[in-house]
Amino acid sequence: MIRGRSPVVRSAIRAASPLALLVAAFLFFAGHNQPGGGFAAGLVIGAVVALRTVAGIGRPQDATRWFAVGTALVSVVALASLLGGEPLLDQVIVSETLPLLGKVKSGSALVFDAGVTAIVVGLFVAVFDGLDADELGRDEVQV
Amino acid sequence: MSVTLALVVGGLTSVGVYLITSRSLTRMLLGFALLGHAAVVALLAAGGEAGERPISGDAPVDELSDPLPQAFALTAIVISFGLTLFLLALARRQAQLTGDDLVEDDLEDRRIALETEAEGDDA
Amino acid sequence: MIWILLVAHLVGVVAVLSLPNPRPAFAVALAAPLASAVWAASRLGGGETDTARLDWVEGLDLAVSFRVGPLGALLAVLVSGIGVLIFVYGHGYFGGGDRRGFAATLLAFSGSMLGLVWADDVWTLFLFWEATSVTSFLLVGTKSTDSAAVTAARRALLVTVAGGLVLLAGLLVLVDVAGTATLSEMGPVTGDQATVAAVLILVGAFTKSAQLPFHVWLPGAMAAPTPVSAYLHSATMVKAGIVLIGVMHPVLGAVDIWSGLGVTVGLLTMFWGAIGALRHADAKLVLAWGTVSQLGLMTAMMSLGSGKAIFAAVSLVVAHAVFKAALFMAVGEIDIRTGSRDLRSLSGLRTSMPVAFWVMVFAGLSMAGVPPLLGFPAKEAAIEASLKETGASGDLILAGVTIGSVLTVAYTTRLVLALFSDKGGESTEVAPFRWAAAAPSVLLSALGVVGYALAPSVTDWVVPAATTLETASAGYALLRWPGLDSTAFWISMGIVAGGAIIGAAAARHSSPPEPVGANNVDRLVDRTLDLAKWTTGRVQHGSLPIYLVVMALVASLAVIPFLGSIDTDQLHTWDRPLQAGMGTTVVAAAIAVAVIRSRIGAALALGVVGLGVSALFLIQGAPDLALTQLLVETVIVVGFVIGLGGLTTQFPANGFVWRSVRIGTAVLAGAAVTVALLASAEDTPSNRESLTAAAVDEGGGNNLVNVILTDLRALDTLGEVVVLVVAAMGVLALSRADTARGGGAPLSDDVRKVRR
Repeated sequence: MIRGRSPVVRSAIRAASPLALLVAAFLFFAGHNQPGGGFAAGLVIGAVVALRTVAGIGRPQDATRWFAVGTALVSVVALASLLGGEPLLDQVIVSETLPLLGKVKSGSALVFDAGVTAIVVGLFVAVFDGLDADELGRDEVQV
Repeated sequence: MSVTLALVVGGLTSVGVYLITSRSLTRMLLGFALLGHAAVVALLAAGGEAGERPISGDAPVDELSDPLPQAFALTAIVISFGLTLFLLALARRQAQLTGDDLVEDDLEDRRIALETEAEGDDA
Repeated sequence: MIWILLVAHLVGVVAVLSLPNPRPAFAVALAAPLASAVWAASRLGGGETDTARLDWVEGLDLAVSFRVGPLGALLAVLVSGIGVLIFVYGHGYFGGGDRRGFAATLLAFSGSMLGLVWADDVWTLFLFWEATSVTSFLLVGTKSTDSAAVTAARRALLVTVAGGLVLLAGLLVLVDVAGTATLSEMGPVTGDQATVAAVLILVGAFTKSAQLPFHVWLPGAMAAPTPVSAYLHSATMVKAGIVLIGVMHPVLGAVDIWSGLGVTVGLLTMFWGAIGALRHADAKLVLAWGTVSQLGLMTAMMSLGSGKAIFAAVSLVVAHAVFKAALFMAVGEIDIRTGSRDLRSLSGLRTSMPVAFWVMVFAGLSMAGVPPLLGFPAKEAAIEASLKETGASGDLILAGVTIGSVLTVAYTTRLVLALFSDKGGESTEVAPFRWAAAAPSVLLSALGVVGYALAPSVTDWVVPAATTLETASAGYALLRWPGLDSTAFWISMGIVAGGAIIGAAAARHSSPPEPVGANNVDRLVDRTLDLAKWTTGRVQHGSLPIYLVVMALVASLAVIPFLGSIDTDQLHTWDRPLQAGMGTTVVAAAIAVAVIRSRIGAALALGVVGLGVSALFLIQGAPDLALTQLLVETVIVVGFVIGLGGLTTQFPANGFVWRSVRIGTAVLAGAAVTVALLASAEDTPSNRESLTAAAVDEGGGNNLVNVILTDLRALDTLGEVVVLVVAAMGVLALSRADTARGGGAPLSDDVRKVRR
């Protein structure tokens, strides 16, 4: 099904990766006003990681790092509001005008979402961490 | 409430329950995924009638579908996603160890059952 | 000071355990009880009250709270004072060897008991109540190699802990009806709920104080070393129930059943315990049964609840603690110096062990209630309290107390006469005298005389303690000589004379010892364990699919009550006709998932289900859900194919019957869920408006779902993230675990054996 070592697939995945990341970025930033959000973005990035691993382009990194970053971001947002005397997870809103996306009104929720994204990516990395190269090769033969 | 959606929930639950009572971890995984779908659709059905997408400004507030159940449903999707991946890893591990993905009877429970059966024979 | 003393016990425990040299274990251990005893003694007779309180969860009225008034001081003198003597005695009893663990446990027990008598909060009381149960279990089972001791310890633990649970239930009801958990703030309560609380709390007290039919643990606990018996059965453990009845008297005393139940059980126990004491030939068992009997009298007096009765009960607690500890210590001394406690074989001890003899005589006379000993005025008070009761019940109480007292005198007489008589033949060999084993018992038996001589002072200590429980107790006194015109005095004399005659007769006939009741408890325990095993064997056969079928069936039945509540007005066929088409597709694909027997095929069918559900979301007006579902489904199908595609085995086929059961269960479960969903349909107004406003103002976003997730209900999302991280960690652990052993490692023998 997945011709992991086929040059055609490899090239295709190589070419598609940046595009997919762009889609992920769009989903991530659009989430506040349009369908999308941190989780969806994480899934797309995760899919990129998955495809690259299956195709044998680079090995995924340590999943625990993604978890660490994600959990840290989420916790910081959750607790930061407490320092300011606000309720847990209360967020700060900033208004910013970005190129291409126009005026973006957002805030600490974006950081929170980034944490979610990191954790979802970490989940993918964890899943593919277990598939070692030999096994991927065997899949290629059998499937 | 839409009867159609309720029936879809019932159908998904039925097949899900049938699958999780299987001995094969793979089929249990499929069953859990279907039960997850059932739960999400149930949340949606409980959220009232269909409406416009809940994005402020797209349509008058009255015509929007209720966003709160959708938020719950989204959480449910994510959690069943995590669970499914975990089960997947579990099935893989089982396959690595025993060559198949069948759930064995609990050894300790079988031992106790065998013991009491033996005692019953003595008496 | 309260904190300092309680913490001192804790520090003492640690200190004893960490001693480099075992010799001074008992000396170190007695420091904290000594300090407590001195402090409490300095407050005897005074009216001041100390409190200590540490609020834990204020909203739930949970606090650790102590209150030391006259009663607390008096009981603390007994608990800690006798504790000090026990540590001295323990040093002599064990002679040598490493007893650090024992000394530490005994100290922990002593501290728990102190906390119990000082507690001013029902939860604090319960905490220390359970602590005494656990530590006493350890003490009774000290000889862990002796199976009798282990059985006895288990029995004591089961009875007292079961009673603890009943007590907990009673306290919960009590706190609910009284409106506070602080004992000193509780007013009298009555009514049905109070009755329930009263019965439960009484049962709890009965288990601890060895009242019928829970007395069976106490004689068995004699398997413990004598210092433990002397301590647990004189001043502490068994008194906890009496103290509990006492402190509950101001709150529950007005409940109708309170005194009736307490007095009946108490007097029956007094009688039965005395009979038990007359039957046994082991001196320690005689004392144990005697304790049961004495506790019966105290329970009866404490729950009778008149001013005089409470006064008598507190006096009895004091007198009993003093003489019973002395008696146990003397018997223990005989035990370690002769190696026997058998009334039928010990001979010539009067000359060979004069100290033990005189201790037994004085303490025994105190127990029998003979002047000039402290037991006499206390027993007099009990008889007078019975005389004050009027009517038929009053006569019954008087009769009960009298008969019980006659038997008490009888078993005491029999014990002393039989233990120290010459049986003919050679005298029993006696090991050398140890002062540490004898001195505490001498001191305690002397206290019986001193207490009698100083009866007015003792009165000054007892009366304030009793009046904290019952104001009507004020004005009573322990009388050294009630005078010849007192009815109670003549009854007393009759009791002593009658008891002495019976006892002297019984001393000559010793029946063989036989355990009464305890076997039933052990058998009950064994049966329960067998039943548990049998049930486990039948019900818990270890097959996951069967468990799941049972669970699904039971859960499906839960929907039956909702069958009638489906409101068709709330239902419509579909929101939009497209739903019907998509819904059919989803269900059809789901069935395909179950029917297709290849993994890849099933995974692809699952993908179709996901796409269909996605479409349903779009139709419903939930694009976020649709997008997420689409991505998730893709990932899962791909993961499935990559992760399990290599598995070539077919799904196992099932037998027809099992398959039918599964299908039946599945259909039932599906129907149940549908019914539950339809029954829950309700037309509630949505709070869309407020949500929309909140989302735009607070969350700063237009996508309501996303704002809800990241801001308005971000705590839910935080929980979701935690679930994801946990699942991911699980995945990581599973995939990293020894991947080298891939492709079918050999099955272990165990697995093969149970495989079917």
